[in-house]
Amino acid sequence: MVQSAKPVQPIWCPGCGDFGVLAAVKKAANELKIPPYQLALVGGIGCSGSIHNFLEVNGIHALHGRLLAQAVGVKLANPQLTVVAAGGDGDGYAIGMGHFIHAFKHNVSLVYLVMNNETYGLTKGQASPTSQIGFEGNIEHPFDSILTSLSIPVPNFIARTFSGDPKTMTAILIEALKFTQDHRGFAFIEDLSPCVTYNDTYKLWREKVQDVSKLDGYDPTDRQVMFRLCQETREKGKIPVGVMHRPSDEEKDEIGLEKALLPDDLGPARVDLSIDANLANYTKLIRSVT
Amino acid sequence: MSSSVTNVAAHTVASETSPRASRKTLSDLSVMIGGQGGDGTLTVSDLLGRYFRKLGLYVYTSRNVLSRIRGGHADASVRASDHPTSSVKPQVDVLLAFDQEAAELGSKELGPEGVIIYDSSVFSTSLPNSYGFPFATLVGGQVGQPIYKNAAAYGAVSVLLGFDESLTRQVIEERFQRRGAEALQKNLKALEIGRQAASGVPEVPQHWSVRPGEAHDQILSIGNQAVALGFVVGGGRFFSGYPITPATEIMEYLQRYLQPFHGVVRQAEDELAAINNVLGAAYAGARAMTSTSGPGLSLMTEGIGQAGAAELPIVIADCQRVGPSTGEPTRHEQSDLAHLAHLGHGEYPRFIIAPGTVLECFEMTVQALNLAEKWRLPVILLLDQALCQNTVTSPPFEISKVRVERGPILTGEDLAKMAEYKVYKSTETGVSPYALPGTPGVWAEVTGNEHDEWGHVSVAVPNRVAMMQKRMGKMTKAEPDLPKGKFFGPPDAKIGIIGFGSTTGPIWEAQELLSGKHIATRFYQPRTLYPILVSEADAFLKSVDVCYVVEHNFTGQFANLLREAVPWHYAKLKPVLKYDGHSFRSPEIVHAISGGA
Repeated sequence: MVQSAKPVQPIWCPGCGDFGVLAAVKKAANELKIPPYQLALVGGIGCSGSIHNFLEVNGIHALHGRLLAQAVGVKLANPQLTVVAAGGDGDGYAIGMGHFIHAFKHNVSLVYLVMNNETYGLTKGQASPTSQIGFEGNIEHPFDSILTSLSIPVPNFIARTFSGDPKTMTAILIEALKFTQDHRGFAFIEDLSPCVTYNDTYKLWREKVQDVSKLDGYDPTDRQVMFRLCQETREKGKIPVGVMHRPSDEEKDEIGLEKALLPDDLGPARVDLSIDANLANYTKLIRSVT
Repeated sequence: MSSSVTNVAAHTVASETSPRASRKTLSDLSVMIGGQGGDGTLTVSDLLGRYFRKLGLYVYTSRNVLSRIRGGHADASVRASDHPTSSVKPQVDVLLAFDQEAAELGSKELGPEGVIIYDSSVFSTSLPNSYGFPFATLVGGQVGQPIYKNAAAYGAVSVLLGFDESLTRQVIEERFQRRGAEALQKNLKALEIGRQAASGVPEVPQHWSVRPGEAHDQILSIGNQAVALGFVVGGGRFFSGYPITPATEIMEYLQRYLQPFHGVVRQAEDELAAINNVLGAAYAGARAMTSTSGPGLSLMTEGIGQAGAAELPIVIADCQRVGPSTGEPTRHEQSDLAHLAHLGHGEYPRFIIAPGTVLECFEMTVQALNLAEKWRLPVILLLDQALCQNTVTSPPFEISKVRVERGPILTGEDLAKMAEYKVYKSTETGVSPYALPGTPGVWAEVTGNEHDEWGHVSVAVPNRVAMMQKRMGKMTKAEPDLPKGKFFGPPDAKIGIIGFGSTTGPIWEAQELLSGKHIATRFYQPRTLYPILVSEADAFLKSVDVCYVVEHNFTGQFANLLREAVPWHYAKLKPVLKYDGHSFRSPEIVHAISGGA
């Protein structure tokens, strides 16, 4: 058998939350029996974005903030690939914010995994868009990706997980991967992934995480309910985690953009480009210009 | 430039007179249509272009519009000729003015025998040879909506130029069929109103007639359409772009063309998304392209650099417009070249190829796709506003000449015979055979970080040196594969001219005019602008005593690239530069070379 690129040792600090994500991705791919050659992982720039180097996978290291735009290109070119984009909170919510918002609207069936550590780790601990007021002199309000994503009325899959709870994380990742494999659209997971060096929040987050499914009235098919539950949880000083949105029965027929554009899954990367195979249609097209 | 202008007029108006109609036959005619944006100047120019095309004449239309939907001065001109032409005629024969500003601006370009037709319901003028008809009032009264005045004006021009009545009508029918029966009937009614108005006024000089030509095998197209067609036929299947003048039509045509071929056309959220969509698609193995203009190109620069570093095959069609910054979105320039040649931070290989005609737009888009995949790097298809948007008759595009050359792609069968798959494997050519993601049994790491053959991040010194040499070496190794230049005029001429893109049209015409003055010139149209094909440029420059480098920018960007590549010819290069937003008129080039002699 032909030898492909072997995973290298992670560059992460011992105890980094991203190890939990790496383990979850391995377990989920294993459980769903996705062979490495069918999985494409688009990594962002930053500590977390290097995750594709540590797995047997088709890996592409995108530009800073552009991983979603590249992942959209990969999936639309070959809808048969399982596509995961993975990066950090700076990559996704600062430089990449434009693509982040549009990804919900595009609704291309790929999993976007943000490892949120509330800091820029690789450049040594500056404030990020999710940093709390007071962190490294930060006086700006932190951004909440879940509230934002709940406000975009597209039947996406939305969840928040915690690296300190790998079991739940793996289960949610499996659900998200299945969701995209069924061509049902965009799946977003924000994982709370502490930076042990510059912002060690393990203990704090373990105390603060609140499983939303345990709350009265939990209904992930109802955005209004979930928005309110998340806000109330925040007001109590807790961080809501769990599945925040999955499409309701009425929305189950919604399909991802790749399926709408390419109903038979035969995308631009797989179609026969030979002149002979296309001659009749090419001739018709060229003759339409008079 | 006055003396040369007179010559052009003498050259283009045939002396013969048809006694029966007392009309002078024009072998080269120019009609200019001017008004406010929204008056329908482009519609009239389109109708006239279609008429002349049906008559078997060569057609070239240009537009001069502002970046706004309505209002502001807008004009267009249509040239019809019995010999091939791809430039604006230096003098206008018929000016159709919908408002005073159009009459005043247009009259400056009018030839001595030129005639003005204007809408007298809007203004009146005492300019010589001007004839007013109340198009808007007549049409407003009889059709109900003055907006159809452009069809009436087309009717009046058809009388003045002795058009065939049924062919005139047929053009309207074809143009407005798609808009539904009501719109078609109103346009036909307006056409009749205009025809009758002009026929009923005996003092309108029925000067000219336009004789049918023989160019019946031609098609009427624009560069942007040719690029879109070349993309489809060349196997392009993924396009992502963001609307920007003057590139948008490429995306719009592809939205119409690509769907039956399992293709994807994305209108992205911005140019950053567009170029990165294209990178992702190219990584997955699709033939992928984006199109843009200056401001978008600046935003795409980082992405194009990743294509160079990560060895991803992508094509960027740059429809140049006036810069810097937002510049003049609708106007013509060739000032992105220096930026493109040195695009991005760090060093990486790229090719810049430049078609000069609509047909070459078709052929060289195919070539761009082939080059990108064969050499696994970004290829820039350099266009300009005039080439992208001016409608011109062109020989039909030929599918039989199209070759889809994909470069070394590894199939499952190939891989079964291999011990290892290294995505950046070192090879003789610097090009590593590529297995598309999804090919059973293999996977790889692709990255813009410096990497080893496996795609793993590496800062090892010998690896860095080897990888730089691998990538940069493509620039010289690919040279035999790059589009060759074209040469026009006698090989022994001692005066050289160099120009690329849409300046080819005015240069050909200038050569003809100069030859009329017994000045022989040899024109070199380079089609690979970067890297400069040194042996080709050197041989040409050796053959001439002086060389005029004609381009639309302030600094002489191509001349500077030549000076860098063949410095020993430095003193021979004389830049002829224009950066006022309008394309060259042939007399300007003639004047630069002959000094008005």
